[in-house]
Amino acid sequence: MNDTTYVQALNVAGGLFLLAAVGMLSRRQITSMIRLFAVQGVALVALVAVLGVHQHSLELMGVAAGLGVLRVGVLPHLTRRALGAAPAERRETSSAVNIAGSLLASAALVLLAYAVTRPLIALTPSAATAVLPVTVSVVLIGLFALATRHNALSQVVGFLLLDNGITATAFLATSGVPIIVELGVSFDVLLVVVVLQVLTVRLRSTFGTTNLDGLRELRD
Amino acid sequence: METLLLIAPVAAPLAAAAACGAAGWRRITAALGVVAALLMLADATALALRVTRSGPVVAAGGLLRADALSAWMLLVVATVATLACWASPGYLAAGSDTGHRTRWYGVLLHLFISAMAVAILASNLGLFWVAIEATTIVTAFLVGHHRTPTALEAAWKYVVICSSAIAIAFLGTVLLYYTARHAGLEGSRALDWATLSASAHLLDPGVTRIAVGLAVIGFGAKAGLVPLHAWLPDAHSQAPAPVSALMSGVLLSVAFYAVLRIKIIADVALGPAFLRTLLLVLAISTLSVAAVLLIGQRDYKRMLAYSSMEHIGLMTVGAATGSRLAIAAVLLHIAGHGLAKTVAFLGSGHILHHHGNSSDVAAVRGLATRIPLLGGAFGLAMLALLGFPPAAVFASELGIARAGSAAGFGWAIAGAFGLALLAFVALAVRTGAMLLGTAPADAGGAAVHAPRFGFAAAAPLITGLALVSALGVTTWPVQRLLTAAAAIVGAR
Amino acid sequence: MNTVSIVETATQVVLVIAVAPVLTGVMRQIRARLEGRAGAGLLQPWRDVRKLMRRQPTSPVGSGWVFRMAPLVLFATAAVISAAVPLLTTATALTRSADLLVVVGLLALGTVTLALAALDTGTAFGGMGASREMMVLALAEPTILLGVFALSARAGSTNLGTIVTATLHQPLRVLSPASLLAAAAMTVVVIAETGRLPVDNPSTHLELTMIHEAMVLEYSGADLGLIELASSLRLTVLLGLMASLFAPWGIAGATFAALPLAALAFLAKVTVLAAALATGEVFLAKLRLFRVPELLAGSFVLAMLAVATSFLLA
Repeated sequence: MNDTTYVQALNVAGGLFLLAAVGMLSRRQITSMIRLFAVQGVALVALVAVLGVHQHSLELMGVAAGLGVLRVGVLPHLTRRALGAAPAERRETSSAVNIAGSLLASAALVLLAYAVTRPLIALTPSAATAVLPVTVSVVLIGLFALATRHNALSQVVGFLLLDNGITATAFLATSGVPIIVELGVSFDVLLVVVVLQVLTVRLRSTFGTTNLDGLRELRD
Repeated sequence: METLLLIAPVAAPLAAAAACGAAGWRRITAALGVVAALLMLADATALALRVTRSGPVVAAGGLLRADALSAWMLLVVATVATLACWASPGYLAAGSDTGHRTRWYGVLLHLFISAMAVAILASNLGLFWVAIEATTIVTAFLVGHHRTPTALEAAWKYVVICSSAIAIAFLGTVLLYYTARHAGLEGSRALDWATLSASAHLLDPGVTRIAVGLAVIGFGAKAGLVPLHAWLPDAHSQAPAPVSALMSGVLLSVAFYAVLRIKIIADVALGPAFLRTLLLVLAISTLSVAAVLLIGQRDYKRMLAYSSMEHIGLMTVGAATGSRLAIAAVLLHIAGHGLAKTVAFLGSGHILHHHGNSSDVAAVRGLATRIPLLGGAFGLAMLALLGFPPAAVFASELGIARAGSAAGFGWAIAGAFGLALLAFVALAVRTGAMLLGTAPADAGGAAVHAPRFGFAAAAPLITGLALVSALGVTTWPVQRLLTAAAAIVGAR
Repeated sequence: MNTVSIVETATQVVLVIAVAPVLTGVMRQIRARLEGRAGAGLLQPWRDVRKLMRRQPTSPVGSGWVFRMAPLVLFATAAVISAAVPLLTTATALTRSADLLVVVGLLALGTVTLALAALDTGTAFGGMGASREMMVLALAEPTILLGVFALSARAGSTNLGTIVTATLHQPLRVLSPASLLAAAAMTVVVIAETGRLPVDNPSTHLELTMIHEAMVLEYSGADLGLIELASSLRLTVLLGLMASLFAPWGIAGATFAALPLAALAFLAKVTVLAAALATGEVFLAKLRLFRVPELLAGSFVLAMLAVATSFLLA
């Protein structure tokens, strides 16, 4: 793969990665959020695959395949199962910040990410590290979604967004962490989603809804 | 031999978990659990002896490593685990859980202890991270054990906040790996605690600053530091008492141990000023939040949780100071607080059962006259937490204060201890209200279904109190270990 | 300001004013055919303007000079923009003043004057239309500024002529991420500024769903004719601006010879864009009013990303 194609492919994958995250903030329905998360998973796999092809690394390609199975297949499937058959749950009931405000906040977060990642790019300037601001902004957008959404499953999607962003950062900065750590991390994320799925089911059976607005028992 | 020393603390609780899973929660599996914890304690002692005599121990292909600091932490965890496993059967018997749920309780409890052992003995920041995340996952269901709406709410908040915090810490880890690779360290050695500490001067300051900041905030959230502390009072108050004891007593300290290890790296790479300022800000904020929210507190389990936050705040002040005396005091505080908090939570579990599962301070009156043994144990534990001699907490708080003033942080120490004084008053007033006074006439009805609080139930509490007092009088058996551990983290 | 440029500018203005209502006619005809109706013919808007110009305008009781002035200001600003923006040629007489901020300011001036006139009528619908239009304007203006700014970063100047010339010299830049994002953002803004679906339905008769129409509800006669002409003119100019920024081939420079070809190219591009817009409108429903800020905020984010990308990615 020659250099210009490599740079363009990285840019396209990175752009799709960020647009999927911003798109998730603009959706009300949880099913479309999960669908966009799957799209973002595809962008992540593309990013890692491009890196693998450029570095002629079979290991990276293997990791990309594994990531694809996990983040495009298993995790969206689990989250959709947690959604269950309740049609009323598919809409977001409330959020601390409305959608227009969320989108404007995400623009600000992208700028913040660009400012914060300057030392990171300065350490090893390359085509891969130039895409770091995009992945860090996805991390920030994930944190924002986690903090402002009131529905349990939107918080799960926000957490998955956060994790996607961190994984992408790891791959762009250092072509991935050691394989055993990567396996451990993926397994942990999978378990967290399983735990959250079980808790969501219990929440729904105890409270009748997964809107966490009503969870105000414990406070001072 | 070394492999056995390092694998045993991980394997023994795993075996106990397997036994519980296979046979359910019976007297024999509960006893097996206590035996596993005692094995862990024995192993920790042997490890401590080995490490003080001949330096760090490595095993399992470099995955597990023990130096004086890990040995100290393992000792504390093993002791608290023994007390918690000892008290679990009594707690579960007084409750009304089905066999299915107690089986899960047993499995998860021992998995939790094993995960903490892995975290302490991990030589690699990545493995440490995986173990800490594993503790979050395992304790999620332990916190929600009682299946009440409040327990469920607490479990949800706990998992979401802690997982996000740990994810932020992972971003910090990734960035640290990035700068370590750039400095020339290869493969998984770039995440190794010892290698990173030794090569810290090669790390790029700009990136390391971001990495350290993220890691401290992430792991600090798991330790109960502001700003991501909101899960702590809920999770610690809703969990079953032995689990609360483990979480409050040692899990917070294990996360704090990560902050100490990162401090070693940061102080060389960035100079001591950066982390000192960050830790002082976090400490004072945590102390303020804890002190203020203790004032109007009406739930005694939440009160104990906020007290944990206060103690973690004091420990962070000590860590910020950074001298060897300060770190030695912090490590002693970890031990003393762990033991005293365990006794307090175990006692609160029994109080809960004797008052119809209500954790309201107003519901408990005249405990010292009604159930003298329980009231005495709980009262002595609270006195220990408040920092009265002969508890170890007295010596460690004194040490932190002296070290801080000697290093020139008089104002910070004054502020921190002023807030601690506020917390002291709040805790003392609440505890006094619970213990003292005459017993109300109608309290007998609520205690009908609770078993009598006899010596068997009191034994773990009395042991804990004895240990914390002994530690407070003299650190003679563990003096060399403590000094060696403080030398690893502290600057001259 | 030599003869060539004056002639070119005059040709541009006359052509654009002549074509604008026809373009509106094309859009209405396409919609009609797709909806299974016969349609009124391509020149119907011109026939409407001619009819309206012969009628006597009336003004509501209590309205003042703002109401009478607004159609003139609206038409005047639209005409000035059509002279300044590089549609047929990059060397118009006003080319040195054809700065991004000036053009956006003139657009805003026209809209604001109309909104003030709507308030001047003192009716409830006038006030409602004015407030809704201002809400849309507040979010659309920054987006259009950022979108063209993203393009100007490469060209090194915010002068529209310079930007178009720069794109002519390096055609592949149109496919860069910054350019694509800016195009997406600008499409949404053009739809919002000219009051087309899904932001506003230009052919609605239900007052509570109106934004632009509610502002001109009280106008009649020659005033209304001017306003209709000015609206078509703004639509044509904005579509022409989009075409020039993102597909500038065929545009003339400072010579006469290329002018006929430039005119043809302009007509072709603008017709294609108008046809696409009309076809899209058949399939879109008008957004509920509280969703309009979401759409505009989304386009703002895209424009912001375009600026960031153009500065920070090579």
